[in-house]
Amino acid sequence: MPNIIACYKWVLDEQDIKINPGNLALDTSRAKCKISEYDRNAIEEAVLQVDKCGAVVASLTFGTSVAKQSLKDALSRGPEKAYWVNDTAAQTADGFVTANVLAAALRKIGDYDLVLCGEGSADTYGQQVGPRVATLLGIPVITFVTEMKIEGNKVIATRKIGDCTETVTADFPVLVTVLPEINKPRIPSLKQVLGAAKKPVTEWKAADLGLATDELSPKNKVKSIKGFVMNRKNVIYKEGSPTEKVASLAATLAKEGVL
Amino acid sequence: MGEEEKFDAIIIGAGPAGTACAYVLAKEGKNVLLIERGVSAGSKNVTGGRLYTYALELVEPGLHSEAPLERKVIREQIMMLGKKSAVTIDYLDYTFKEEVPQSYSVLRAPFDEWFAGKAEEQGAMVASGILVDDLLFEGNKVIGVKAGEDEMYADVVIAADGINSFMAQKAGLRSDLTGHMVGVGVKEVIELPAEIIQDRFNVASDEGTARMIIGCTEGIQGGGFLYTNKDSVSLGIVFSPENAAKQGKSIHEIYQDFKMHPAIYPLIRDGNTVEYGAHLVPESGWRGVPQKLYRDGFIVTGDAAGFCINTGTILRGIDLAIVSGVAAARAVIEAKDGSTVGTSYMRELEQLGLIPTMKLFAGWPDIVAIPRMAETYPHLANDALRFMFTVDGTVPEKMPKAMRAIVKKHVSMGQLIADGWKGVTSI
Amino acid sequence: MAGIFIYSEDTNVAQQMLTMGRELADKMQQRLCAVTIFEQDAQDLVDAGADKVFVLKGDSAWPESYAPAVADLAAKEEPIAIFIGATLRGKDLAAKVAARLKSGLVTDAFAVRLENGDIETDRVMYGGLAVCTEILQGTSVVTIPPRTFDMPAKVSGRAGEIVKLDVTVDSTMAVGNVCPIVRQGADIATAEKLVCVGRGLGKQEDMQLAKDLAAALGAEIGCTRSIAEDYHWLPNETYIGLSGQKVKPVLYLSMGVSGQVQHVAGIRDSKIIVAIDSNENAPIFAAADYGIVGDLYQIVPLLTEAIRNK
Repeated sequence: MPNIIACYKWVLDEQDIKINPGNLALDTSRAKCKISEYDRNAIEEAVLQVDKCGAVVASLTFGTSVAKQSLKDALSRGPEKAYWVNDTAAQTADGFVTANVLAAALRKIGDYDLVLCGEGSADTYGQQVGPRVATLLGIPVITFVTEMKIEGNKVIATRKIGDCTETVTADFPVLVTVLPEINKPRIPSLKQVLGAAKKPVTEWKAADLGLATDELSPKNKVKSIKGFVMNRKNVIYKEGSPTEKVASLAATLAKEGVL
Repeated sequence: MGEEEKFDAIIIGAGPAGTACAYVLAKEGKNVLLIERGVSAGSKNVTGGRLYTYALELVEPGLHSEAPLERKVIREQIMMLGKKSAVTIDYLDYTFKEEVPQSYSVLRAPFDEWFAGKAEEQGAMVASGILVDDLLFEGNKVIGVKAGEDEMYADVVIAADGINSFMAQKAGLRSDLTGHMVGVGVKEVIELPAEIIQDRFNVASDEGTARMIIGCTEGIQGGGFLYTNKDSVSLGIVFSPENAAKQGKSIHEIYQDFKMHPAIYPLIRDGNTVEYGAHLVPESGWRGVPQKLYRDGFIVTGDAAGFCINTGTILRGIDLAIVSGVAAARAVIEAKDGSTVGTSYMRELEQLGLIPTMKLFAGWPDIVAIPRMAETYPHLANDALRFMFTVDGTVPEKMPKAMRAIVKKHVSMGQLIADGWKGVTSI
Repeated sequence: MAGIFIYSEDTNVAQQMLTMGRELADKMQQRLCAVTIFEQDAQDLVDAGADKVFVLKGDSAWPESYAPAVADLAAKEEPIAIFIGATLRGKDLAAKVAARLKSGLVTDAFAVRLENGDIETDRVMYGGLAVCTEILQGTSVVTIPPRTFDMPAKVSGRAGEIVKLDVTVDSTMAVGNVCPIVRQGADIATAEKLVCVGRGLGKQEDMQLAKDLAAALGAEIGCTRSIAEDYHWLPNETYIGLSGQKVKPVLYLSMGVSGQVQHVAGIRDSKIIVAIDSNENAPIFAAADYGIVGDLYQIVPLLTEAIRNK
């Protein structure tokens, strides 16, 4: 009965983020949060193992108090309990900090065979926390996984690395980061949503995990985060008959030398 | 979650009606489940809009001071648009903001979500992102709901699922909506700095305006509205889709023309559109309320019950929804079992004044429906005032003669009398 | 801290980074060092601008297993920054190195510059909506996408130090069954001209419109994510976007593409962007140089004809 921990991040929904046209500052005031997409695949993959090999699944997240809402969401997807490192350090955390915290939490949980993470988060898409955590814990990590199975105390995973696939096998404990094509996350049913409220949640502060201040401070300095603006010519032909519009466009493209 | 576990009440829809009901029930210690099909409460709801505060006070005194409400409405306005002119009646009343302010402009997403959160705090179980597919029956009695594969049971099921209530239909209490029972509302939320709103509408930082507009729907039965929020303006129109279809006009085109009207445009100039949506609105008042609002183990509340009032000057929906939710909760608390809840509910609706109010305004939809209200009379009013205020050096006609001519230009005596009669009898 | 380090398991990507590295090293008056696991590439790397090349020799063909060796080398040499090619293998390795060095890691930096003596990087966030500029502190790891920089001018037989180190590889995992993914079609990441189809295309048969236009233009065909992943009308390697291909064509022409941020993030580097869509408020038009608001079923055939006649 393998013990599986599925990690997820509670992120701002980028669709709700507005860019202030004047100074290009980001306005996140109306942004709702969600479990980062690929993390949903990680949770789903963990939960699928419950039926496949009797796995016991818990979720783990590092977030500020805002992440409280995520617990119900995560638990409704199948894990039987949730771990939450609730700390303000999450507000400014980079991959370095997040990995330190998750690794410390996993050490405190102690008994785990498989850790599942999404390949990258929807907000920063750093694609680094998974391998970082594994390195800190001294366990093997298999990244970019599109297919996975557990055999005894081994994980056999298929990776998709751009121009090839490869099969990687490792013994427990091991960390795996998944690509979205690995599965289709379930939409929780009413009973699963209600059941979530009854599942246990263990909450820790970073201090409970014995982390030093420098392990909780991001490494690089963020100079700015600004809305990305494409400065293009924006010459759009709207009026006239289709033939006229096409003629204008064709002439322009010929002039640009791209035909 | 065992099959034997049963809720005291399952409420379908976490809008104001459903949530008010859940709140009161949970506070009373009842085991209540509130199911919402949207990702969060409020995500599927649209309102003009404004909330009359007495209703929140009915749920829990003092609740309004915690709620994310926009501005206290102290300016009530009626505007009649001409082609390039407008007649506006502006009623300013500072008593409307004293003590418990009479009403607030409101934005549904934050409000509904906050409200559902309050119900949850009281102990209600809230499940979002779940669509209820069907009701469960045992003989004649509604005993629960079905959502996907899951079946949940309750002593009472309360439908608060909005204007096109599938649950009320499944219970056989109403049939599908027809064109003349509803209006289509189109609404835009336009962001503007608070100070600009305060300057343009002449209100202080916590004060706001509610304006009803007629003459903005190009002759189609309906009207417009404008509400000032903290840092945005809610602007929109509601009208009869049937009528619009007959005249071959697109809702969005009509709305754009309205927005560009010289009396409207300067109010929202340089604003930033942050939301643009549409929703159905019950239009028939009391006559649109189903014959029966309950059956064994089941009651209908809010928009699902048609609880909306439109007098042309006042629009009420949210407050009536909340009151009906409270009535439903009280009925569940009093009742011994599902079979008596319905009659208790009707009694509460009477005692809380909801039914008497609905009956009182029963005829008003007829006034709103008078075809000439949409364009003729507003234009008439504008022409009349244009005459009164025109000074161009020429010798004006004598007032009575001029007025008669203006009236005759728009409407015949017969039509005027018929409309007048209709108006008087409707009230 | 000393030295600018470059590593990629793909020698072309390593050389592209040397172009940037050389400039940076010169400005900072530092040595430019390349790290490779392939002995035969060492001289090429010197020719491409590296002052010193470390060859890591281990008994494994699996690039990922060299992560501890690269990390050990970096820990010993303490470079100012390590630039690693942002191939998928590279990102995997970079994260492990960063963890070992307890350093920051900037992923997919599309710009690197020296500002007031510090190295600054730019990368996208929120699906392409925003750009994050960071100032590197301490030894920092940065991954750079392939083709961000051009290949350098190589000087054959350039002088440089080549050091071979015997290293232990990570053997905790067994790798097998390496199967190349057969590319079904051209490599759109390097295509000069691209025609991109989006959900405005009603059915798969309508792809013919795109094919005709592409033929007339001499372009390859790409698509938005849903066309590949949801509808499977085109293979996954042809979808353009933040999580798919990033393209740099001279001409990108889309039809029926609304222009969501994630897709636009993949076409940013195109020289000329042209869009055809029926919705005049589609975000793609704000990202385009030229465009036509119209029904693509009418416009595209006419355009194909017009181009053939030019």
